[in-house]
Amino acid sequence: MTSTTNLLAFVGLVVALLLVWRQSWPGRLRLFAAQSVVLALLATVVGVLAARPGLVVVGAVFALVKVWIIPRVLRRIAAGAPVRPVAPGKSSGIALLVAGALVVAAYVVMLPVQAATRLPTQGAIPLAFAMALIGLYVCVTGRDALGHILGFLVFENGVFGLAILATYGLPGIVEAGVFLDVLVIVFIMEVVVVQVRREHASIAEERLRELRG
Amino acid sequence: MARLGYALAALVGLAATALGVAGMLGRAGTLAVPWLVPLGGLELTLDPLGGFFLALVGFVAVPASVYAIGYAAGSTRGVLAYLVFIVSMCAVPLAANVMTFAIAWELMSLASYFLVLQERERRETADAAWVYAVMTHAGLACLLAGMLLLAAWTGSVRFADWRAAAPALSAGARDLAFLLLAVGFAGKAGVIPLHVWLPLAHPAAPSHVSALMSGVMIKLGVYGLVRAGTDWLGGGPAWWGTAVLLAGVVSAVVGVLYALVEHDLKRLLAFHSIENVGIILIGVGAGMLYRHAGLGELALLGLAAGLYHTVNHAAFKGLLFLGAGAVVHATGTRDMERLGGLVKRMPWTAACFLVGAAAIAALPPLNGFVSEWLTFVALLQNTRVAAPALNLVFALGIAGLALTSGLAMACFVKAYGITFLALPRSEAAGRAREAGAAMRAGMLLLVAACVALGLGPTVVLPRLAAVAAPLAGPGAPARPGLGDWLTVQVPGDFASLSTLAIAAALALGLAAPLVALRLAGASRRRRLYETWGCGRMLQTARMAYTATAFANPFKRVFDFFYRPVKRLDIEFHPASRLFVERIEYANPTRSIFEDWLYRPVLDALHAAARHARAIQSGSANLYLAYILVALLVLLVLA
Repeated sequence: MTSTTNLLAFVGLVVALLLVWRQSWPGRLRLFAAQSVVLALLATVVGVLAARPGLVVVGAVFALVKVWIIPRVLRRIAAGAPVRPVAPGKSSGIALLVAGALVVAAYVVMLPVQAATRLPTQGAIPLAFAMALIGLYVCVTGRDALGHILGFLVFENGVFGLAILATYGLPGIVEAGVFLDVLVIVFIMEVVVVQVRREHASIAEERLRELRG
Repeated sequence: MARLGYALAALVGLAATALGVAGMLGRAGTLAVPWLVPLGGLELTLDPLGGFFLALVGFVAVPASVYAIGYAAGSTRGVLAYLVFIVSMCAVPLAANVMTFAIAWELMSLASYFLVLQERERRETADAAWVYAVMTHAGLACLLAGMLLLAAWTGSVRFADWRAAAPALSAGARDLAFLLLAVGFAGKAGVIPLHVWLPLAHPAAPSHVSALMSGVMIKLGVYGLVRAGTDWLGGGPAWWGTAVLLAGVVSAVVGVLYALVEHDLKRLLAFHSIENVGIILIGVGAGMLYRHAGLGELALLGLAAGLYHTVNHAAFKGLLFLGAGAVVHATGTRDMERLGGLVKRMPWTAACFLVGAAAIAALPPLNGFVSEWLTFVALLQNTRVAAPALNLVFALGIAGLALTSGLAMACFVKAYGITFLALPRSEAAGRAREAGAAMRAGMLLLVAACVALGLGPTVVLPRLAAVAAPLAGPGAPARPGLGDWLTVQVPGDFASLSTLAIAAALALGLAAPLVALRLAGASRRRRLYETWGCGRMLQTARMAYTATAFANPFKRVFDFFYRPVKRLDIEFHPASRLFVERIEYANPTRSIFEDWLYRPVLDALHAAARHARAIQSGSANLYLAYILVALLVLLVLA
């Protein structure tokens, strides 16, 4: 069980790093969907091996929401936006370096947590946490509204992974609430982004500065 | 509809008076609804001090509401705010725990804020309301900090528990709690230098509201000071009383100095409210100092003098604000330079205002004289305190009070003389009409109160002494001998006063020449002749003495305080400089407190805000980065 969960969490983290590196929007969206697939698998594996049937259901719902619905909505939001909103010629080297530093930070921060738990999945906890931090970092460096949304979703993925690995999943009602929240956030963001684009003919971050009071 | 609301307010006032007087006479009671609000629930308790201030609310609310029936139709919103204002003021002195107090206090502040905002089309009204809101909430912050600290230290939010637990607290804790509470309450009382809102907010409100704000609301600040200093914390070191007394002296002298050079009738009255709160605090501070020195009966006298001046000020300042409201109602202006001659057009209002002016100037036998006399008598007995430093403080109090009384007299000669005497200085003043029946009834009620409080100290003072007795410390007699029905005998056999005898002597003195003339067989035929005109052929309003002219000598004497700016604009005739076409003269004063206290503080605040703006760049990325950094820092530190 340890090696499987470790592998899956590692793959998830690598996908997150790829997401930092990748510049084209459809590519990043595909990477997000891939990461969601990996996490759904992770939930299923933990559910089967730890004999928690509830987790299997959670993994199925997770796949439905994050692999199918949300990417569809995101694609709809992005319709009309240029494929590469990111400034061309800007290398993602520095960004990758920071992401690497965040992985180290995640290990440092999670040391006491690892010392406190005796679960077979404990080795993967820092990986999931690094995923969350990288998601937040993608959010921070996002150069338009789409980048912010994507970063937030990756962050959310990381938190989900953390919950699975550290506690074998949250109570069903909490999971359901979180899924609903994420869905609602994405729908709200869709409305906001469409509105902002209609008003400003752009969703680039620099233009949002003009809203300052 | 509005009239019905004001009638209801008058009934509430009557009920408050009845309940409050019952409380003063020793009736106690508690009303507790624990589930209504969190943190201890709603709890109201009636005790003598609370009863006194409850009665005070009703005492002004009744005439002010009667007056309001005739003053303005008013919007439904205004009437509602007025009702909430009165009810919340009733609740403040009864509140028995922190939550109840905070709710009542904040309701009172908010309701009065909306009442100040009633004529919100005018720019200065909006500014006044803004300053008022800021100052009142700064005060609330201090109060809440002090109360929550006390609650944490004593382990209870009920005031009754503080009484038991406060003496066991450390000296530093008690000092800090007193300081925070005192600053919060002093802000509401309009003590200098926390007074800036008062001369702005009082004139902006409708006059019946001004009467209530000045007559009652700022007194609730005094209530808090007395309550915190002598009841909750159970007396303290000498500096508490010294601070209160000196704050009183500064407020009294500075308040009356500002009033002297003010030509806006209602602003002038507002500055006098600051002055009178100062006089009240001189009495209260003296009481606290005597309590510290262990002189119970003198502490009782000082506190009773403060309470007496509290109710007196409510009576005459309420009356003066109602009178000023009648003048504004009739002429449409508050500028004294545009008034004049109203004594002929508004004889009732003029007579009522005259009584109020004589009372506030402390002329016997009216009520202001009684309480200022009591305050003097309390201060003059400081020789029984054997501490030279404290004797000096008392001496300052005596000097400040004497100066204040004289200046207040001069100020009301100006206020009455310029407003009501001479010739009308504007067309509006010439067309003024006497106030309606309801407004006159409201004023006459307060005239009666001023006279009764002046003639009846032998009845009133023992009741106030009973209220003050539990606050005056261990050495205070429960039933001090205060003289018989005719004469007030001050504790310690120091002095005595009989206003009834003074009134009788004054009446005799006035009647005697008439009788003597009659006996001497003087002619009783009336002769009508024009006023002596200094030999001029024509008398116009432009020749009359102006308020500026009246204030000018004071401006020169207190030049270091007013720091007046002189602006002289002369327009010459184009042909020759020997012919002047127009002269404009203005001589505005500058406020020390604005220039040296509030301006630097506000400038520093603005500068800090400009620097803080750097982190608010408008970049969503930066904001998100703040979140990430905060998360990491928290995780590493945790």
